[in-house]
Amino acid sequence: MAPAFLHVNDLGKSYGQVRAVDGISLEIPRGSIYGFLGPNGSGKTTTIRCIMNIILADRGEILFDGRPLDRLLLDRVGYLPEERGLYRKMKCAEQLAFLATLKSVPRKEAMRRAEAWLERLGLGEWKDRKVDALSKGMQQKVQFAATFLFEPDLVILDEPFSGLDPLNVETMRDIIREQNARGCTIILSTHMLAEAEKLCDSVCLIEGGRKVLDGTLEAVRTDFPLKSVRVAYAGGKEPPARLPGIAHRVFQDDSWRLTLEAGANTDAVLDALRAAGQLTLFAANRPALDEIFLSVVRERRAAAGTEAAS
Amino acid sequence: MKMLAIIRREYLERVRTKGFVISTLLLPLLMSLTMLVPMLTMKSIDTRNTIGLIDPSGTYFAALDAALAAQQDARVSLIPIPVAGGDVAAAAAGLQDQIRDESLDGGVVIGDDFIGVPKATFYSRSVSGSIIREDLQPALDRVLRQTRFERAGVPDSLHSYLLERVSWESLSVGDEGEATRRDEQGVFVLAFILIIMLYMMVLLYGQQTLTAVIEEKSSRVVEVLLSSVPSSQLMFGKVVGIGGAGLTQMAIWVAVLVYMAGQGISVAGLSFDASFLTPLILGSFVIFFVLGFLLFSMMYAGVGALCNTIQEAQPFATPIMMFVVIPMLLLSMVLRAPSSTLATVLSLIPMFSPVLMFIRVCLSTPPLWQVLLSWVLMSLTIWLMSRAAGKLFRVGILMNGSAPNWATLVRTLRQPD
Repeated sequence: MAPAFLHVNDLGKSYGQVRAVDGISLEIPRGSIYGFLGPNGSGKTTTIRCIMNIILADRGEILFDGRPLDRLLLDRVGYLPEERGLYRKMKCAEQLAFLATLKSVPRKEAMRRAEAWLERLGLGEWKDRKVDALSKGMQQKVQFAATFLFEPDLVILDEPFSGLDPLNVETMRDIIREQNARGCTIILSTHMLAEAEKLCDSVCLIEGGRKVLDGTLEAVRTDFPLKSVRVAYAGGKEPPARLPGIAHRVFQDDSWRLTLEAGANTDAVLDALRAAGQLTLFAANRPALDEIFLSVVRERRAAAGTEAAS
Repeated sequence: MKMLAIIRREYLERVRTKGFVISTLLLPLLMSLTMLVPMLTMKSIDTRNTIGLIDPSGTYFAALDAALAAQQDARVSLIPIPVAGGDVAAAAAGLQDQIRDESLDGGVVIGDDFIGVPKATFYSRSVSGSIIREDLQPALDRVLRQTRFERAGVPDSLHSYLLERVSWESLSVGDEGEATRRDEQGVFVLAFILIIMLYMMVLLYGQQTLTAVIEEKSSRVVEVLLSSVPSSQLMFGKVVGIGGAGLTQMAIWVAVLVYMAGQGISVAGLSFDASFLTPLILGSFVIFFVLGFLLFSMMYAGVGALCNTIQEAQPFATPIMMFVVIPMLLLSMVLRAPSSTLATVLSLIPMFSPVLMFIRVCLSTPPLWQVLLSWVLMSLTIWLMSRAAGKLFRVGILMNGSAPNWATLVRTLRQPD
């Protein structure tokens, strides 16, 4: 794994009695697309605001390239906040150029890039229109452009796809991939796990202000205990209805999907299945990210519930 | 530079609005109207006062009428009231009736032997002092003296020589150099203009800073801005940008006023000898005005940074206005003793400097270091307040319902940018 670009160590932030972030540590590899995942209210946005120094963390350490966020670094970091907004009375191109000059891009260059980006996003004819006149989706695209316009080294996107149609989501996804190829490290905070799965190299899952799991996407998926297998028999024979270690079976597409009981021994299951006939398929059914997500979150919430009860 | 971009944006956003253009044009328009209307009505309405004269001896009317006619801009025309059968009391009663039914504006009663016992009684519905002081009294004085000269046999050629009055010139002694000529009324008018301008600007644009800061908090642009610019720079940029728009408007207004004054139109009845306007006074007028305005705007920005709604901000905003009013109350004291220690100390307090130090500059030329020190102190205060406002802005923002407590406030104020 590449050395960490952003290093978060034991971050904590409370609002009154509520611990929004409770000791989160992250290592975000340079050049990665990092999925920052979690359900609503899990502390994603608070963590990001602390990273961007918009709110003051109660404790913890945040290092960019080994040093805390200072004015010089600010010019290399892009941020698309969850609560989006632009100056409504400003013209699109001017607005983009203004935001870029705030990242130390010279004004002329900023104006040139602003127009190029608007052109690319299909908003070329809107450049001299006020933001007010744009549809919500268009405004979001303008803001997306503002985040990348100054060619940052690190970009934090908080729920970038919310409110966009599939076509626009694809445009955004292309931009993210392209910017990543340019060398930009991207942190993608989202609860749309299918999107994260398509884009991310590494992910981190947080829940209740705490990190639940993290690692490369591959590692997270392989390490997750196997929940189901797919099998098929020669001649389309059905698997036995009752087998030790198997909770239930369902025919899906061209194969049977068998859900394993918790703690089932896959070797024992395989032996039993072979005894029943000639297998043409026996495959681990790797869980999708949202399955992992759901099962982990439910487990934790159940554990927290019993803890609270006792 | 980032701050320049913010200043530019705030400035253009305001100057480009229709409201700005309209209000900039409206004031000169209103002012020329208020000047035109009296000029037009002056011609149609006779503003002269008709005063009845009871003169039992019947010998002074002609001389008084001539003396009044000789005075410039006398507002009085005299008519004799006959005294029937030497009954002065009855004539005076009749005079009062005429004043009561407004056929006369006033009346003067002098005695039988006016030259021996120079006593006059003035009747009017409202005792207008200026008519007595500026019109009647000089005329009566003149008639009295002239008649006495004649009776004493003083030759005519000596009359004007003997009647000549002292012409005054007031000079004040500065700490160095020559004594300079002072126009007390002019100083007062200038200080008054500064206070009015400051007051107007603080009301119009200082308040706007407050609103703008609060709006910025509720607008969602703020997170992006804060991820690009230190919040103190954001505050400073906003104040200077909005202030720039205000100063532009003020500059246009002043230019129009100066032009009108140059055309010989007296502005709001104020006219003064401009000869005491040294470059130092004019220069410090501008500096005190700009610094004072920025200082008050920054205070408003700080209040805006603390509060989430305009309603919440009102009770905090009112005391700021007090800082504009207090120097006015202290003004008479500083006028009396401009070089006293107390006046010096008060005029160095940044919030009071624009008015108090300026009036001292006009009155007595305080040592240059004091003037410079007051500028430095004001600039320093502006800078410190922009930092504090920026930090408060950061705490106030995104509080998500939980009010900031003192610990967070202190921690935020101590945090480096």
